[in-house]
Amino acid sequence: MIAAGMQSQDGHMSEPLPAASPILVTGSKGFVGSVVVRELLQRGFTNIRCFARTPAGNDKLAELGRKFPAARLDVVHGNLLLPDDCRRAADGAVLVYHLAAGTGKSFPGCVLDSAVATRNLLDALAGSQTLKRFVNVGSFSVYSNATLRRGAVLDESCPVERAYTARFDAYAYGKTKQDDVVAEYGAKHGVPYTILRPGVVFGPGRGGSILGRCGIDTFGFFMHVTGRFPIPLTYVDNCAQAIVLAGLAEGIDREVFNIVDDDLPSSSRLLRLTKRNLGRFFSVRVPYPACLAFSCAWEKYAAWSGNQLPPLFNRRMCAAYHKGNRYSNEKLKRLLGWSPAVPMDEALRRYFEYRRTAAAS
Amino acid sequence: MLKVGIVGCGKIADAHAEQIRRIPRCELSGVCDRDPLMAEQLAERFPVKAWHTDLDQFLETVRPDVVHITTPPQSHLPLGLKCLAAGAHILVEKPFTIDAGEARALIDAADRAGRKVTVGHDGQFSPVARRMREMVRRGYIGTPPVHMESYWCYDLSDPTYARALLADKHHWARQLPGGLPHNIINHGVSKVAEFIESDDPDVVAYGFVSPFLRGLGSTDMVDELRVIIAEERGTTAYFTFSTQMRPSLHQFSIYGNRNGITIDEDRRTLIRLPGTGFKSYAEHFLRPLTIAGQYARNSARNVKLFLKNEFHMDDGKYRLFRAFYDSIEHGTPVPIPYREIVLTTHIMDRIFAQVSAAPGRAPAPSGATA
Repeated sequence: MIAAGMQSQDGHMSEPLPAASPILVTGSKGFVGSVVVRELLQRGFTNIRCFARTPAGNDKLAELGRKFPAARLDVVHGNLLLPDDCRRAADGAVLVYHLAAGTGKSFPGCVLDSAVATRNLLDALAGSQTLKRFVNVGSFSVYSNATLRRGAVLDESCPVERAYTARFDAYAYGKTKQDDVVAEYGAKHGVPYTILRPGVVFGPGRGGSILGRCGIDTFGFFMHVTGRFPIPLTYVDNCAQAIVLAGLAEGIDREVFNIVDDDLPSSSRLLRLTKRNLGRFFSVRVPYPACLAFSCAWEKYAAWSGNQLPPLFNRRMCAAYHKGNRYSNEKLKRLLGWSPAVPMDEALRRYFEYRRTAAAS
Repeated sequence: MLKVGIVGCGKIADAHAEQIRRIPRCELSGVCDRDPLMAEQLAERFPVKAWHTDLDQFLETVRPDVVHITTPPQSHLPLGLKCLAAGAHILVEKPFTIDAGEARALIDAADRAGRKVTVGHDGQFSPVARRMREMVRRGYIGTPPVHMESYWCYDLSDPTYARALLADKHHWARQLPGGLPHNIINHGVSKVAEFIESDDPDVVAYGFVSPFLRGLGSTDMVDELRVIIAEERGTTAYFTFSTQMRPSLHQFSIYGNRNGITIDEDRRTLIRLPGTGFKSYAEHFLRPLTIAGQYARNSARNVKLFLKNEFHMDDGKYRLFRAFYDSIEHGTPVPIPYREIVLTTHIMDRIFAQVSAAPGRAPAPSGATA
């Protein structure tokens, strides 16, 4: 079986990747990773190495294996912090989708699980004669919108946050370092790479709230801040499709792509839908300037007190999550030929249905 | 100005760097980690002038007066010896060493080098621990302690984290002789060790794998410990480590022949437990009120400390570091007696020897009777 070719930047079809090419997917049992594996199988790829840290979630992959009996789905357990495990994972891979990442709250933990793990994997891949592309799945959170006005478009040309201590965002810091490592290996070792930065990924299988960019839920009630501005959502199937395409399209080495869907809901609408579908809760509309002033006061107190209260609320964080920007997926559509297969209304319907069912069971 | 360095730039190093920079008379002069990304991230955020990946180069270039060793415990002895040989005093994160033999070796080396050493038992310097120590010193409980109870728990209820830990047999915490508890119980055991006079108390330990971990497929990672510690003069202690009991306590109680004291490290409360009661029914009616009053005063005290900016999360570390730097600069005693460091390690050795010999069932008494 031959996998479908992709339309490249100049409009030509790229040379199709043979269906039996060994493809490595890290984080393969995660919320997005498992859908990426499914997407690859649906595209006809038959030799997928699923790297994961623990045996938990093997049933998801086993089910995929049953659906695609012709495909070889190898589950490799290991730890990307161990070079031997990285070598085992990377051996002979033609294409790597790197979705494993740290999600902890400590800075060293996020650097370890995101940047160090990625560096180890790239060490194992550097000098590989077979590798065609390393697809690095980063995060939207790495951007700084400090210089953007409210409502301005945040796209791939925006600067990455470098005021780490002021932002005090361990996850974003780890993902920034991860992107830096990937770029460094591209420059120094010629590793062909593409970086993808998904927005808020949602869909069946996602637990927890997707309202993090709408407001603050720390003080026992929900402070709704982002208001009329859109939330950069991407439905998990659409996101996985974009990730897979980034491994297959030609002419996009060293490019960065943001992943957001079309028809993004405003923060107010998403909050309304969440309440309607998942049950009502108390929320208060807090204007962005008030939230910014609160964050500023908190930040200054943290500095004055030597972090008796850490600067969890600060101006840069407030801006990044709640200032309100508009988002573009134009580059993704233009260079990858991507378009969201599941429209936003349908995606939200599926998500809320999943959450209602999960809550009922 | 004391020049301070950190070796090992993982999670706990952040807490050290945070408190070091609160102490005005010292400077974080350099950090070292064999992984350049880890060394760089710590140096970048605090910020520190120099970061290194080679310990010899770090010691030679930075020439630190004090080195905080925040690496996994398996490396504490060799790294500590190197730092001492380079003329630095050392503050070693817990667990101090793998066993009591290593602990003695490190302390002996410090003595020979004319340098000082301490361990990161910062729980001994929390606001309530310091208050309790002062009350015991003044004779509130009577002398000596009759009995102690120490709870030092760890919430392992998140299956995602538990599974990751179980799957990672190479994780340094799992490589310790006592496994996961080896990295955690030091604080709780050291609270008992402080008040034990004997260098070789009886220790009876019972350990088992919790039903929660068994449900996740673990048969060998002991995460529940119940320990009895006793010495000839009649002082006894119970120590409990649990990943499953709720609330996940960090409490210590000490009872003398007159009164008792209970401290709670999570709520930062100290409660006096008077040895004499009110008469008759008044004990039932008034005692709860007096205890409620104590809790109210604890709340007020905590608020007051917060407003005075003396209520940091890691205040114990700050006090410990400051006391250690004082002992270096002014020749005052080290904040944690060497005997207490070795005894804590020795009690832990006894616990793990028994648990690994017979996990899941109560072993025969050991210690002085072993």
